[in-house]
Amino acid sequence: MASFVPTSEETLADQRLYTAGWLTSVSCQDCLAVVGVQKNSAHHTSIQWSAEALAACPEMGRRPRELHAGCPRLQASIEQAVRAGQVPIGAGDGF
Amino acid sequence: MTATDTAARMLDRGVTPERYARGWHCAGLADAFRDGKPHAIETFGAKLVVFQAANGEFGVLDGYCRHMGGDLTQGEVKGDELACPFHDWRWGTDGRCKQIPYARRVPLRARTQRYETVVRNGQLLFWHDPEGSPADHDLLPPELPGVGTDEYTEWFWETVPIKGSHCRELIDNVVDMAHFYYVHFAFPTSFRNVFEGTRATQFMESKGRPDKAADAGGYGDADMVLTSEATYYGPAYMINWLEVDYKGFVTEVVLINCHLPTGPDSFTLQYGITVKKPEGLDDKTAQYIAKKYAEMFGTGFLQDVHIWQNKAPVQNPLLCEEDGPVYQLRRWYEQFYVDVADIAPDMVARFEFEVDTTKANEFWHEEVAENLRRRDAASEADAPLEGAGH
Repeated sequence: MASFVPTSEETLADQRLYTAGWLTSVSCQDCLAVVGVQKNSAHHTSIQWSAEALAACPEMGRRPRELHAGCPRLQASIEQAVRAGQVPIGAGDGF
Repeated sequence: MTATDTAARMLDRGVTPERYARGWHCAGLADAFRDGKPHAIETFGAKLVVFQAANGEFGVLDGYCRHMGGDLTQGEVKGDELACPFHDWRWGTDGRCKQIPYARRVPLRARTQRYETVVRNGQLLFWHDPEGSPADHDLLPPELPGVGTDEYTEWFWETVPIKGSHCRELIDNVVDMAHFYYVHFAFPTSFRNVFEGTRATQFMESKGRPDKAADAGGYGDADMVLTSEATYYGPAYMINWLEVDYKGFVTEVVLINCHLPTGPDSFTLQYGITVKKPEGLDDKTAQYIAKKYAEMFGTGFLQDVHIWQNKAPVQNPLLCEEDGPVYQLRRWYEQFYVDVADIAPDMVARFEFEVDTTKANEFWHEEVAENLRRRDAASEADAPLEGAGH
């Protein structure tokens, strides 16, 4: 059932762009989790998990788990990927 | 109407949904319904009746009797049932007609729309699902340890009807870092979001703007540092844990921010404040502090309301790199408006977002410093601002 219905095709394109357009796949170096990462700047990080990645991550499998706590090993893997130049910083095409 | 790099961007106002969100909604403080009388609440484009039966159970039913449409909110609680003012049909908290005093028997089909209830943290919550599923108790907001005991003040509870805005405007605040500076007069120094499943959280640290303290109310007090964790449990109920550091005096505040959608472009905002009584303070002083914080956050909501009531709905917000994840938040929010079978994996997938507040705060601190310089130059005769403005 339709919810908030955009009136233009371009809005759907925007939705795809803003949610997925700048994601780069990063594999965790400690488990099989693969997440989408976006870096708009050195201090900004966006991490898109999937159900598969969440299931693969031992840190996320811990119970009870605080919602806000991220995975430090994934964090380190992302920082490593950024240092290695695998994740572009800034959207490049002007966001 | 083709968009090129140079074409003017169109504002897509979209179409608001025809249905209301699935999830737990808050009717208000449970105590408000304990007077043995029926109460009307407007929500979901309808009128509901809330009452407490003699056995203590709460009933939330559609407001109109299924017999001939009498207004149950004008009825009377008789024992464990609510009696219709028109023909005295008696409805139970389970939505079934229990007796019709003038009839030999009650029709087997005599059942009305009923919403399952739970009292949580002193508030009456009820489950709404357009698909009619049984209440999902796993999705309830958590119990707040100590709240409702002598450790905390009583709830300060306010209700504000909002016309001309869909309630998603309120939800958008979860990711809106920059509005805390412009609308609430605070520097958000740290800002992070996590969405997962039916929960969406905002973590923020902020301090007030010294150039606005006198007229701001709300968050705009330079001596105030807030550490805030705010989580939506479903579409309509947020718990905001706040640590308020005022000149070194730290207070733990719990702010409930919840709403009832009333129509396609209206909702009823409700917020409640309780404060952990600081050690060494008597109850009266603690109540006074809680009242002050209720006023402060009340002012904050009114600052938002003014924006909402004058803005256009936008389906295609244009973002910059310093903005929060508006599209991802709305994707999360969408899950409550589609059938359970249609919930897409990415609506509920975990998503983390750390906003870089560095650039924004550099600019903002310069702007505030400039505002202060200008103000001092313009009115040297004026007394300096009082720190404790509210």
